[in-house]
Amino acid sequence: MKTARIMAAIVLVLAGAAALGAHYLAPAGYEQQFRMSPDAPPSTQHLLGTDDLGRDRMARLLYGTRVSLFLAPIAAGIATILAAFFGGMAGYFGGWVERCALLFVDLFLSIPWLFLLITVRAVLPLNISPQNSVIITFLLLGFLGWAASARVICAGTKELMKSEFVWLARASGFSGFKLIRLHLMPNLRGTLLAQFWISVPVFIITEANLGALGLGVTEPLPSLGSLLGELQSVIVLRPHPWQFLPLVILIVVVSCFQTLLNSSEVRT
Amino acid sequence: MWRTLGLALLRLAGIMLLAGLLGGTLIRVAPGFAADERQLDSNLSSQSIQAVRQARLSDSNIPRFYAGYLASLVRGDLGTSQMLNQPIRDLLRERLPITLRNLALAVLLAWVMGLALAAATQLTGSRLLTSTAEGLSGTFISTPAAVLALVFVLLRLPPELAAALLVFPKIYRYCHNLLRQGYDRPHVLTALAKGAGRWRVLVWHVAPVSLPQMLALLGVSISLAIGVLLPIEAICDVSGIGQLAWQAATGRDLPLLVNLTLVVTFLTASATMFSDLARKTMTRSEV
Repeated sequence: MKTARIMAAIVLVLAGAAALGAHYLAPAGYEQQFRMSPDAPPSTQHLLGTDDLGRDRMARLLYGTRVSLFLAPIAAGIATILAAFFGGMAGYFGGWVERCALLFVDLFLSIPWLFLLITVRAVLPLNISPQNSVIITFLLLGFLGWAASARVICAGTKELMKSEFVWLARASGFSGFKLIRLHLMPNLRGTLLAQFWISVPVFIITEANLGALGLGVTEPLPSLGSLLGELQSVIVLRPHPWQFLPLVILIVVVSCFQTLLNSSEVRT
Repeated sequence: MWRTLGLALLRLAGIMLLAGLLGGTLIRVAPGFAADERQLDSNLSSQSIQAVRQARLSDSNIPRFYAGYLASLVRGDLGTSQMLNQPIRDLLRERLPITLRNLALAVLLAWVMGLALAAATQLTGSRLLTSTAEGLSGTFISTPAAVLALVFVLLRLPPELAAALLVFPKIYRYCHNLLRQGYDRPHVLTALAKGAGRWRVLVWHVAPVSLPQMLALLGVSISLAIGVLLPIEAICDVSGIGQLAWQAATGRDLPLLVNLTLVVTFLTASATMFSDLARKTMTRSEV
């Protein structure tokens, strides 16, 4: 199991390094068109061939991996902060504050995550710049994906509020911000980190779902999701093995995250 | 018991009311809400265009729209779809059974696969089987629903199987861990040490302990299946609620979207509520 985790970490580091070095590995960039060779098969010039518009598939895959791999943690960070705020508030105050916060959390959990996301994404403008579409997509993931984590953090905070050291701190006159900063936050750090790392692969997959449905990052900027969206026409018309590489990369990256998170505490 | 059920139903009603309001508000604040593509239809007379515009404006006040909607709902009138120009009640009557059938099949298949694999890995203790099951669940948990739906379209496989394959990893992993924890309990270890067969131990000692938590997972698995059925129905062209939701979201059909949000929320929240109630009842009766 330890070997699998080390392997997963190595693969993730390699994928991250390749995505970061996309500029050097694929100097042509993700939007340059080679109009003389549209839809070309793999060659020494284009390792994964070109797409319908003559753009280098390898460059698009590397830049797409960069977008998904580095923006999903930002979205996960936003979701974790929101979850810490709502969950922590509910656990700290208890009573009607907890009931209201948990009703709000239940509301978010009752509407299937993808349904909510597609609805919200669909009501936002579609004719926006690619850069804005990236920001909107990942902000949405962050702002809508906090509910499940909030429940865990609420339970953790409630448990801490019952602990002896918190009682002692309160008896000593600690309250409000000081209690949260000195006693609750340090003890919740592990839970928050776990929730953060659980959210990252979930957000990568969700972005891929949105992209495959045409509601994610817009052209010409690639992401793993928008590259998967291209499969829709590819699968129906003429599937070639190398066109499935974005899917393979996605599965490998998410599986590596799952392997790293593969502990019984996280799973159950 | 009755008090718990009453409170749960009250909570369900509150969540549904809020969900409907949330759905309506989202569409109202969306850019281009007041615009309707029928206004550009040159075949329509100026009176018709005015009527279309008026219909849109009447929906623009969310509290008024929602209050009116709830009043109609009590009378059994769910309104008319702006996009499909059909009574929403008829649309739901046509499409809900298809989705419910797909949902039931997907959840059943996912549970059969997940539970069978989890039990088999525990019973045999085979590392090869465990690795295969882990690999399978890892692959499907990492595959986007939309992409699997595309592959299923290509291979002409049933869409409910795609939904089942996407839900099964959660069930397998959770059940696998629950059963493993069950086998680690002192009374189970004692039974095994005394020579009780693994099947017998599973049925009489491990399963009863794990059952309440598995019931809680049932509600979650239904919610998961509804979530993955949305892109699957949209891509596999299955005329269910998922496809309708997709059309309503892209067509910004406020009345239809509010109704669908309520239906989906009702299905999810009631599944979670009943599985939670069953778990609580079972735990209480054990105590």
